[in-house]
Amino acid sequence: MDPKGKGSPDASGLARVGSTFPDEVMQIVLALLNSHRDRSSVSLVCKNWYDAERFSRTHVFIGNCYSVSPEIVTRRFPNIRKVTLKGKPRFADFNLVPPNWGADIRSWLLVFAARNLCLEELRLKRMTVSDESLKFLSLSFPNFKALSLLHCDGFSTDGLAAIATHCMNLAELDIQENDINDKSGSWLSCFPENFSSLEVLNFANLRNEVNFEALDRLVSRCKSLKVLKVNKNISAEQLKRLLVHAPQLTELGTGTFLQDLTSCQYSELESAFNKCKNLKTLSGLSEVTALHLTPLYPACTNLIFLNLSYSALKDVQLAKLLVRCPCLRRLWVLETVGDKGLEAVGSNCPMLEDLRVFPADTFEDIAHGVTESGFVSVSYGCPRLRYVLYFCQQMTNAAVATIVHNCPNFTHFRLCIMNPCQPDYQTNEPMDKAFCAVVKTCAKLQRLAVSGLLTDVTFESIGRYAKSLKTLSVAFAGSSDWGMQCVLGGCPKLRKLEIRDCPFGNAALLSGFKKYDSLRSLWMSDCKVTMNGCRLLAKERPWLNVEVMKEEGSNESRANKVYVYRSVAGPRRDAPPFVLTL
Amino acid sequence: MELQLALALPVHNPVRGFDLNDLERAPKEVLLEGSEPWSCRSTGCLESEKCVKNKRTSEEAFGKIDIGDMTQTLQVMLWSGQPNEDDDRKGRKCRNSYIINKKEVQENNLVGWPPITSWRKKQLHQHQGGQVINNDRAVDRSAGGSNSPFVKVKMEGVLIARKINIRLYHSYQTLTDTLISMFAQYQKNYKDGASYALTYQDKEGDWLLAGDVPWQTFIESVRRLEILRNGRGCAG
Repeated sequence: MDPKGKGSPDASGLARVGSTFPDEVMQIVLALLNSHRDRSSVSLVCKNWYDAERFSRTHVFIGNCYSVSPEIVTRRFPNIRKVTLKGKPRFADFNLVPPNWGADIRSWLLVFAARNLCLEELRLKRMTVSDESLKFLSLSFPNFKALSLLHCDGFSTDGLAAIATHCMNLAELDIQENDINDKSGSWLSCFPENFSSLEVLNFANLRNEVNFEALDRLVSRCKSLKVLKVNKNISAEQLKRLLVHAPQLTELGTGTFLQDLTSCQYSELESAFNKCKNLKTLSGLSEVTALHLTPLYPACTNLIFLNLSYSALKDVQLAKLLVRCPCLRRLWVLETVGDKGLEAVGSNCPMLEDLRVFPADTFEDIAHGVTESGFVSVSYGCPRLRYVLYFCQQMTNAAVATIVHNCPNFTHFRLCIMNPCQPDYQTNEPMDKAFCAVVKTCAKLQRLAVSGLLTDVTFESIGRYAKSLKTLSVAFAGSSDWGMQCVLGGCPKLRKLEIRDCPFGNAALLSGFKKYDSLRSLWMSDCKVTMNGCRLLAKERPWLNVEVMKEEGSNESRANKVYVYRSVAGPRRDAPPFVLTL
Repeated sequence: MELQLALALPVHNPVRGFDLNDLERAPKEVLLEGSEPWSCRSTGCLESEKCVKNKRTSEEAFGKIDIGDMTQTLQVMLWSGQPNEDDDRKGRKCRNSYIINKKEVQENNLVGWPPITSWRKKQLHQHQGGQVINNDRAVDRSAGGSNSPFVKVKMEGVLIARKINIRLYHSYQTLTDTLISMFAQYQKNYKDGASYALTYQDKEGDWLLAGDVPWQTFIESVRRLEILRNGRGCAG
């Protein structure tokens, strides 16, 4: 309670109740609030709190760049320094969104510069970023510190060169998994010789060789470097040299780890790893076909996250490695480890919370992928599991029921049975029972991706039981409109719904028109929705953006790709010709 | 259809039960043709016979075909849009058989399924070499479609191939030294000091003896390496 407020005589009395805290106190208190939800709540209390909140906000997260405009954002939050923006619908990652769809960062940067924002951090996901934008960014914001681009496109290594050249205070450069025009590795040499503020450097997915000597010098100078993820062109020998200069690393992504080393090189590498006592995350490790992971072992004791999703490891190799990682909480592997490898996970990783099993080269006839039994083994050994992404060849209802019985704390359950519409391979029934078990047992479930042969029964259960569900991904499932209607009628916390190749039509689409106000977005592709249905929705809900992507030569009345989202900025002004806003 | 004629292969019975010896020539012909796996298609049978003839000596020299390569070749051909009528494919654990029971989706070229990000696909395909499907078209990486410095190295008679980053070496000497140490374990059977020849496939698809061209030229055009025993090399 504020003693000042109670005791001070005040003419406006009750009207000033909301401002009994002096502004200074308010600002200090608000500065401690980081959660966006909390800040939103604060801003709704009264006008004074709204103003106090908006002036003190430094970080804004925008889940759909078209839900708001840069003008609106900067008007409300004039002091933001860190911006996180997400652009295209998630299915763009799987080539379902045509190129030049939009989500260009350019207009945002122009407004930020015009409003003299002291931009320090920019984190973008699925946005289009041109080299000009990157250059503009590097020249317009002298305090710029952190750039993170994930699943973005539209730029080349020339843009990176501009960032390296002009951003004097850069601490973070994370270019993970982008559609980048990789012209050359010379961008790395653009960091000035006296530049030393780098803390995070991730160029793991770039293909061109960087100048190793320049990299080595950079790593030596940047004493605060914590995260280093290099690309495949860095050999084990070179990695050793880098490690010797940066034993303080907490996250490491190796290059081509496997190379036949002389025994001298081998022991030097091992001793370099031995000095890396702070390593929490390890990734890269591509080209690991035979077991040469032993030099790594000394660094594994404190590992929390091991990303082997680019390493075609087999079960025996994985088991040997896991024995050294008692603290592991997050493990990403390829299916090459097989069910036996997953048994080893179950036996060695009691603290595991996050498991992702990715498919290997999809065109290689691998006799061993993973099946339901691998997943079941993990569930017995890892009761703390809460996040799983599992690509498999076959699954049974009974297995899933067992899994969620063993691990009722799932928050993210993403199961991908790779053959669409595949039933339970033992009983030949639909996989309905599996997902019913998931939603009934896992009360904290926030994200669900379903697969296999599914009828409306699954969606009835989801609608009824998935009370915490925020994101639902559906493909090749359902029997009729009823399925989607159940989901839209239930799932009180639903935020994102993405559907492809399902028999849901206009009735389903229109049944949710009230629901869409609370959704960030809805994606429906190759379903049974028509243009008329979309037009009706747009008419009912004029404040929703209902966009249809037309493909050449497709049926005129069918709406092949529908993207519906709420927005305070109105219809897009930059929509390309193939996007119709209704 | 022409594809079937040229190669005398039943399209829907690709890998299992395949008699290597009978059909040895045909798939190898495809590989040696270079970037277009089905380049013999439009010219029909006769031409393909000629193609085979020209390559025969190399074939004899190189011996057995790598099963792995053939599997991948065949899968590329199957991907070229042939409707899949085969029932027993469901029993196979082959990931490219996205058989959907729905009437709407008959072709085997589903966009974006399974839901693996394009970056992950690219990384894996670079990593493993061989032929790649990029959702719509086939890109033969082993015939020089990419910038990748990674080159597959095989030794005659050894089932497991290795992969090296060719840019890490500066001369033929360093390359051969590394290869010798890499494959040393397989030499124990040939203690009599048999000689070896290093051959490579260039970006035109031709197999040549390594060492004739300057190093720089070599690394720009090499796509694959193979170590042959007893000094056997290709004719040209």
